[in-house]
Amino acid sequence: MAPRQQPGSQQRHQSGRSLALVLGMGMALCLCAFTAHAAGPMAILSWGDKGEALRATVNEAFINFRTGPGRGYPIFYIAERGEVVEVLKQRTDWIKVRNVKDIEGWVHVDEMVLTNDQNDQPLTVDRANRESYSNRKWEMGTLLGDFGGSSTITAYGGYHLTRNVSLEGALSETFGDFSNGRAATLSIVHQPFPTWRVSPFLTIGGGVRETNPRSTLVTVEDRVDDTLNAGAGIRAYLGRRFIVRLQYKNYTVLTDRDDDEEVNEWKIGLSTFF
Amino acid sequence: MENRLKHLLLGGVLAVGLAYIPAGQTADETVVQVIEPELERREIKTAKIDKENFEIGGFVGIIAIEDFDSSSVYGARLAYHLTEDFFVEATYGQATGDLTSFEQLSGGSPLFSDEDRDFTYYDLSVGWNIFPGEIFIANRFAFNSSFYLVAGAGSTEFAGDDWFTITAGAGYRLLLTDWVALHLDVRDNIFDRDSFGEDEQTHNLQFNTGFTFFF
Repeated sequence: MAPRQQPGSQQRHQSGRSLALVLGMGMALCLCAFTAHAAGPMAILSWGDKGEALRATVNEAFINFRTGPGRGYPIFYIAERGEVVEVLKQRTDWIKVRNVKDIEGWVHVDEMVLTNDQNDQPLTVDRANRESYSNRKWEMGTLLGDFGGSSTITAYGGYHLTRNVSLEGALSETFGDFSNGRAATLSIVHQPFPTWRVSPFLTIGGGVRETNPRSTLVTVEDRVDDTLNAGAGIRAYLGRRFIVRLQYKNYTVLTDRDDDEEVNEWKIGLSTFF
Repeated sequence: MENRLKHLLLGGVLAVGLAYIPAGQTADETVVQVIEPELERREIKTAKIDKENFEIGGFVGIIAIEDFDSSSVYGARLAYHLTEDFFVEATYGQATGDLTSFEQLSGGSPLFSDEDRDFTYYDLSVGWNIFPGEIFIANRFAFNSSFYLVAGAGSTEFAGDDWFTITAGAGYRLLLTDWVALHLDVRDNIFDRDSFGEDEQTHNLQFNTGFTFFF
């Protein structure tokens, strides 16, 4: 039996890797942009520079130092009112601090807001809550669902131009009985009520779609088509950094044939924001 | 007479009115701000604290590709920690399948080309730090650790096609410092494959280890 050879398999192979690469790079870019946005280029340059350390003074009876960034880690030290601590870093809801005696521990953000900064003002810490959700700039998530009868998986990233309008880029892969597909779309998303916990949105966009017939079928060439889409959905803020997203989109695949294809897509997913 | 009286009264009212209005206006003008507020409007700015919620790293291990023998696997992972309990993770990995048992026994020409034996996958998962903890080595050392569960979905490219893949697994993260972690992971990449004609579910178990860095 001869090795199976499919026309286009080389190309498909390449594109599989490149999609994964693009996915990874896209995420990395998103993250880089985020870190740059959050910390600023100066923060990277001033790594290890102890001169600009952020100091905070305990302004309540005491704050608890834990051995790790979690509620289960034991409290091993208590910093009392008036004690000065150096703020080192933040991981999720925990802030690592060091006192004058070089004792290092993790303090919860709810306790850190009870300290004063250098200007004797309450320290403002980035906490994931409803307010930061409403003012979010970046949104990222994954969606799973059904694209015209095929399973589909999507990764997307969005940037909020205003509270109402955001620009979203998405990469999808679909898995059908007869063909697989990959798609990239760019959309504009409008949410009329950005402050609602459960907030509807409308979306319109366009992109490209690559369809690869299954290798076990009679060989048919891969094809690339442009697509247009319009849809609607709901974002629900669960709390902390979690958003659940449900959406419907109607795609028009602009094929070379006489008729364009129309495909309905339903997806649900989990997103986060910065 | 009556007319003159009216005239007088109206004139008087008008005069009083006119006299009153300018008086009111001057009173307004002469209000002096006695106390100058020395308050500066406070600009609320979130303190610039270095956030380390991302975790990036690589791994190597062994994967048992169903029907295609075991082989080495290597890849990269990127995670974002949402809370102390949950994280999301993107993983990319690759391995190469060996000959199937049939191919080895029959001694004939192989059923699949070398290129079709390349096993590449990615997945997007959610992880749950179910058992966070701390381990102790001798008297001096204490390291934070976490046992976590992950589940997700993705795609595997193998035997000439892409397959929708469900991943599930568990792992152990040992934080050597605040930002360097050692991982030990077990994953199952599950997908339905019809390369041999019939649709069959395949389990591709892997065991891997690697380092990650928080940033």
